[in-house]
Amino acid sequence: MEYFSPKVRKGIESKSKTISRRGFVLSIAKFSFFGVIFSRLAYLQLFKSKEYKQLSDRNRFREIKEVPERGSIYDFKKRVIASNNQVYQISIFPKEIKNLNEFFYSLKDYINFDILEIKKLKKDIYRHKKTKKYQAYIIDKKLSWKSISKINYNLINIPHIQPLVSYERTYKYPEEFAHIIGYVAEPNKKELKKISQNLLYVPNLKIGKNGIEKRFEEEIIGSPGKSVIEIDAYGKQLKQVSYDQGTKGSNFYSTLDTDLQVFSKKILGNDSGSIIVMSTKGEIRCCVSSPSFNANLFTYGISNYEFKKYLKNEKKPLSNKPLSSRYPPGSTLKMIVALSALENDIVNRNFKIRCSESTEYFGQKYHCWKEKGHGIVNMKKAIKESCDIYFYEVARLLGVDRLYQTASKFGLDQYVLKNFVEEKKGVFPNTKWKKKYVGQPWYLGETIIAGIGQGYIQTTPIQLCKMIAQIANGGYKIKPSFNNNDQFLFGEKIIENGDHLKLIQESLNVATNEWKGTSYRSRIKGDLKYCGKTGTSQVRKITQEQRDLDIKNKDLPWKFRDHSLFTGYGPVSNPEYAISVVIDHGGSGSSKAAPIAKKVMQKVFELYYKKDQNV
Amino acid sequence: MYRLNKGIIESFFLKLKLLDWFIISLIIILSIISLIIISSLDVNNQNLFEKHFLRIIFSFIVFLIVASINIKTWYKFSYYFYGFVILLLILVDFYGLVGKGAKRWLDIGIFNLQPSELMKIAVIMALARYYQYIKTDEIDKIRNLVIPISLIIIPFVMVIKQPDLGTAIFIMLVAISILWLTGLNLKIFTFGTLSLLVLAPLSISFLKPYQKQRILTFLNPENDPTGAGYHVIQSKIAIGSGGFFGKGYLQGSQSNLSFLPEPHTDFIFTAFAEQFGFFGSIILLILFLLLIYRIDYISKLSRSTFGRLLCFGVSFNFFVYIAINIGMVTGLLPVVGVPIPIMSYGGTAMITSMFALGLVTSAKIHKDQNIY
Repeated sequence: MEYFSPKVRKGIESKSKTISRRGFVLSIAKFSFFGVIFSRLAYLQLFKSKEYKQLSDRNRFREIKEVPERGSIYDFKKRVIASNNQVYQISIFPKEIKNLNEFFYSLKDYINFDILEIKKLKKDIYRHKKTKKYQAYIIDKKLSWKSISKINYNLINIPHIQPLVSYERTYKYPEEFAHIIGYVAEPNKKELKKISQNLLYVPNLKIGKNGIEKRFEEEIIGSPGKSVIEIDAYGKQLKQVSYDQGTKGSNFYSTLDTDLQVFSKKILGNDSGSIIVMSTKGEIRCCVSSPSFNANLFTYGISNYEFKKYLKNEKKPLSNKPLSSRYPPGSTLKMIVALSALENDIVNRNFKIRCSESTEYFGQKYHCWKEKGHGIVNMKKAIKESCDIYFYEVARLLGVDRLYQTASKFGLDQYVLKNFVEEKKGVFPNTKWKKKYVGQPWYLGETIIAGIGQGYIQTTPIQLCKMIAQIANGGYKIKPSFNNNDQFLFGEKIIENGDHLKLIQESLNVATNEWKGTSYRSRIKGDLKYCGKTGTSQVRKITQEQRDLDIKNKDLPWKFRDHSLFTGYGPVSNPEYAISVVIDHGGSGSSKAAPIAKKVMQKVFELYYKKDQNV
Repeated sequence: MYRLNKGIIESFFLKLKLLDWFIISLIIILSIISLIIISSLDVNNQNLFEKHFLRIIFSFIVFLIVASINIKTWYKFSYYFYGFVILLLILVDFYGLVGKGAKRWLDIGIFNLQPSELMKIAVIMALARYYQYIKTDEIDKIRNLVIPISLIIIPFVMVIKQPDLGTAIFIMLVAISILWLTGLNLKIFTFGTLSLLVLAPLSISFLKPYQKQRILTFLNPENDPTGAGYHVIQSKIAIGSGGFFGKGYLQGSQSNLSFLPEPHTDFIFTAFAEQFGFFGSIILLILFLLLIYRIDYISKLSRSTFGRLLCFGVSFNFFVYIAINIGMVTGLLPVVGVPIPIMSYGGTAMITSMFALGLVTSAKIHKDQNIY
């Protein structure tokens, strides 16, 4: 009994009391630890709850954005130029896959990968894992219907993958329209943000990189579809939580004409150059740049080898020449010089001059292209036979600033199209311009060569086409465009005096359709005629030595040969179509550009007039 | 004083009346909760619910039997029980099943027995028995410390060799609590703690690489999100995403979609907290708190030192279970693999806790029993 009722000694309590007292201390310890647990739970479940809910959703939901179908592009007769193919692909979340070798092995029954492909994909996936952690990765391989249906059937047994239907841009005429329609390729983040925030993180989205594809991107691209699926920890898909189909981009109806474009491309063949045909109201029917590239190659990322081949080609197949190549306009500018002189009352229509072989200004010799000279020339003859001496004198009398004003009215110092990235503005100098950009005063000698479209003047083929179209339509301002939904109306009148314009039009007519005219050899015989002005623009100065040696253009290396230009319109009786042809280093305008223009204009007449007559 | 000299059947029913209905109702409530949770987690159709239910019934019968046996008998039986469990630990060393890099289990047919789990109770019983005879003023004497310290060290070393650091520390903690309750001099505790601090860096060098990894992972789980830290991160996400009222029954995405590993055993609290939120977790905590304080209360009713120490030991045992488990699933403590009593799916832990509660109930029924 002693143990159960021990005598209470000094300083020592009974056993049961000790246990109770120490048990109480223990209870406090327990209680306080429960307090710690309580506050920990409150911290996790109340204060941090939102954060953890997000993490939990990120665990279980996979958001997959689907590439929207791009709008198709049609020509003005509603024939397809660019459309989409349905392709079957699979997407994965690289973050979920721990062992890529095992993953590819698990796919072996469904998709045939070769070793090189797997190697490339593995590298790609690894990079994707690092930079786009929470995004799907689409294996960029077109799958057959057979293998995709096999995958779909066995989806439960193949973890991590998600089959999908995607769209692939295809161009019916990948070479003919390559520059003007453009191509699509993988975008960077900056480009996407510019178009729409919504397009971020859409796997395998391709956007227009240039041409119409880029210019009208916002209308063409559409909005991406989105599906949310629930998955378990092993990446197995359990169910679709939500699905939004997205919307197809709107179709783009262009002013282009497939027939004319294909024909023009064929005519240009291997030559480096461009052809533009537009209606005198500004509808661009054809816009060819040669040589071309295959736009379909870019959709899946062009191979390095192919790309280098394009880059190394001295004829620059990748550049969009009608919009971005700049040439001295040469003799094609003479109509503007003449018009400016008439408008400013510097000379009248009967102003005559004697053209001998050469003339001298300020101790410098200036030559006419014709060695024996043209004899006595008036304005009409000067344009018809393209007399240089006549225009030296007119330019000298006119001065560059007045010439600039007229040229500016025709848009030679402005962009032709609105917001077209590839388009470059030409250069049309004046005294102020030179001081600002060259930092030197204007020399009179420069005015003289400006009279025949040489010197600082640089124009793009599309600028020349717009210029001639505005002369053809009776002097009305136009806004050329590729968008068939635009309103093509005449704007303000540029040239008030109808007689002046008529004189120029007549001169252009005789230049083509009368004997001795510069493009007489390229005339079209028949009811429907066209007319226009040739141009030969020098790439370098012809030295006296070369003149004496009588070196022919074709004997020079290709790079130093003259550019061959032609601008014109037709039919003469009722001008409706304007054309500009530029052949890089093609020699003289009459020998190279004019015959090409003839063929194209013949096609134009055939396409837009002959049929009507038959009906 | 109650003299039990009637027939066995008659006395059994007499004792039934004296059972602690408070504890029994808590057992029933917690069992129901655990059944509900476990059925929500059985995504792979492993019949977890049925198995767990059978274990509850079996353990409850064990509980009733243990409760009806006189505390005096348990007192006499203590050392034998301790010796039996030591024997089992030796058997584990030879015939144990290997899992997760450790030898912890014995296959006894119905389920895999984990003797180290039983040791948690055995060490309490052995120490309680030892201190029954030690006078209060002789407790601090060195010769009276030799036996209890060997009683602690032997199983501790055996368990740590399995290796199972968590259970070893668990046994140590519970045993020390008994020493504390007996009134051991504070100086000895201070000395013990100090020497532990000195020995800690030394003992780390004896740890297995995976144990070191766990400690490192505990310190910074985000360091290795897919490896060792994965459990804790996913568990925290599950608990946190539960919010105040939880995601709802069967709606626990973390536990039902396998993001949470082992949701029905060590991480059952996580699964519960995800589905029933802060609100549910607090109610569950309160239920456990009630159980612990009820045991403490019974301890005070008991007349014998053995009964008192036993009850306090069991209550502390339950506390350590819950504290380590919830501490571990909420990221407060390293992951050491300690289940929650009654709730977690697992045979040994279930039987051990019911056995312990049986002892407590026996102490209550026979509270006036003297031990000579």
